Amino acid sequence: MSARKYFPAASILLAAALVAGLACSSCASVPPAPAETRIVIFHSNDIHGKIDNFAKVAAVIAREKRGGAQVYYFCAGDNFTGNPIIDQYEPPGEPMLELLNRLGVDLLCPGNHEFDIGLENLRNFAARARFPFLSANIEAPAGVLPQLRPSTVLRTRGGVRIAVFGLIQIEAGNGLPSTHPDKVKGFKFSEPLARARGMKSLRRGNEVFLALTHIGYEDDLRLAAQMPELDVIIGGHSHTRVDPAETVKGVLVAQAGSDNRSLGRVELLVRGGRVVEKKGALIDLKTVSDEDAGIKAMIVKFNQNPAFSRVIAEAPFAIEGKDALGSLMTDAMCRAHGLDVSFQNEGGIRLNRLPEKITLKDVYTLDPFGNQVVEIAMNAEEIRSLVRASFEKGREIDLQVSGLTYVVRVDNERRVLEILLRLPDGKPLPEDKAYRVGVSSYVASSYSFAHKDPGRALAATTADALIRFLESRPDLSVYRGIQRAFQDPPARGGRY
Amino acid sequence: MQIKVNRKTVEIFSGARVKDVLRKYSPITWKQVQKGSKAVFDGHGHEIGLDGELAEGACLMVKRVARTGAGS
Repeated sequence: MSARKYFPAASILLAAALVAGLACSSCASVPPAPAETRIVIFHSNDIHGKIDNFAKVAAVIAREKRGGAQVYYFCAGDNFTGNPIIDQYEPPGEPMLELLNRLGVDLLCPGNHEFDIGLENLRNFAARARFPFLSANIEAPAGVLPQLRPSTVLRTRGGVRIAVFGLIQIEAGNGLPSTHPDKVKGFKFSEPLARARGMKSLRRGNEVFLALTHIGYEDDLRLAAQMPELDVIIGGHSHTRVDPAETVKGVLVAQAGSDNRSLGRVELLVRGGRVVEKKGALIDLKTVSDEDAGIKAMIVKFNQNPAFSRVIAEAPFAIEGKDALGSLMTDAMCRAHGLDVSFQNEGGIRLNRLPEKITLKDVYTLDPFGNQVVEIAMNAEEIRSLVRASFEKGREIDLQVSGLTYVVRVDNERRVLEILLRLPDGKPLPEDKAYRVGVSSYVASSYSFAHKDPGRALAATTADALIRFLESRPDLSVYRGIQRAFQDPPARGGRY
Repeated sequence: MQIKVNRKTVEIFSGARVKDVLRKYSPITWKQVQKGSKAVFDGHGHEIGLDGELAEGACLMVKRVARTGAGS
């Protein structure tokens, strides 16, 4: 880590303050506030289940505490979603809960992905968390998340008051955080920057005024511009490495990247009732060699998640081949999201065989990329455009499908002559209808095809869909010998 | 939504992440970023993660970087 930096005048003034305090100790029972207070706030954001560096984080924080500063650790949201080993732990959220408690987190601003674990799990997480949740623009249903509050005031050992409020991002379209809408049913969210204006009164009577946000760096900059009363904004959501922290209209704006690769460190010097110096930088955790042994042991334990070996479905036979596996994966996408049609590229099918007893580990081996499901409204001609683009990539069938079957008619050079789309009952797909089509974010961004609707991510991964589908105990016998995508005439020696 | 990458507008689904936009912008650039010879920065020059969530109108710059052993 970078060398710890001290304010040069701090120790001299602190000594003077102590002398003054001793001189009048006979006439006052309450020790006087120190003339200067040095506050160090460590911060993380968008950890997304990447726990491996927490042993280093603990060591860095412990070392700072030994230096005598008033030390805090804030989390700026999105602790979950991004590491299946942690995301699939039972009960959900347990590894992050235990680690954040052990690390002594002081405040957490929920991010959009905090809701991914489901309301009941989030409620349990919050109930056992030894730190409050801060967000001024979340209104929880009655009795849900009583730990959530708009703001709080921390007090240092010397009595310096640090007022902090939280904010979460919302999407412009639906006014909800970027998670599945079902996960936030009953919650109300207000526009974060507008809500922040209502928090200005926290400036009065508090030496330090800070926003802990999960609204993204651009909105953090807007917040700084509209609220110069703030001393610091510690943010998350956009995964931005702000190193060193930026100063905008006198407000220090910090964010620590993502995935627990860096630890943010903001240092404040409070003198005469206000912040007189402030700075922020990132500690690259690759450069830290110290580790807390206790935290390390917890990480090792959590990484051996026994839930990964849990059988989530039993098939009457091993499901083999791209046709069967692709059909299963696309059926799962359609079922999970109520789609009419869905496609899965064969390059994204990373197993050739699912065993009879299917475990979580099998699912993540089959579909390891964490691709989101993207919904696009498409007509039949646009669907043909997608099928054509996929075929022309390698002049062979590439997309597995649910909700229809298709035939690619080709010439001797395997150039596409015609694409026939049929409903599962064999009738032609009606041309004059818009279909809700699901594809992975990889297909949506890598394949060049015609579609007027740009589409929208559904805040869930393709692997999530498959897990939900398998856990619903579908009839897996239908996947023996199944085929929905055809080439005509079939490729010589090929599957089609 | 529309995202600018090296001043070129990329039309992509809402809720896209940095890596989605890069794949659409240029498969070659995406491979260079994956290999680490290039990195992605926002309009203010700060490096951003590939899973970073984007909002309408975001500006990205992809630049060649010299990685050191300790760099991220």
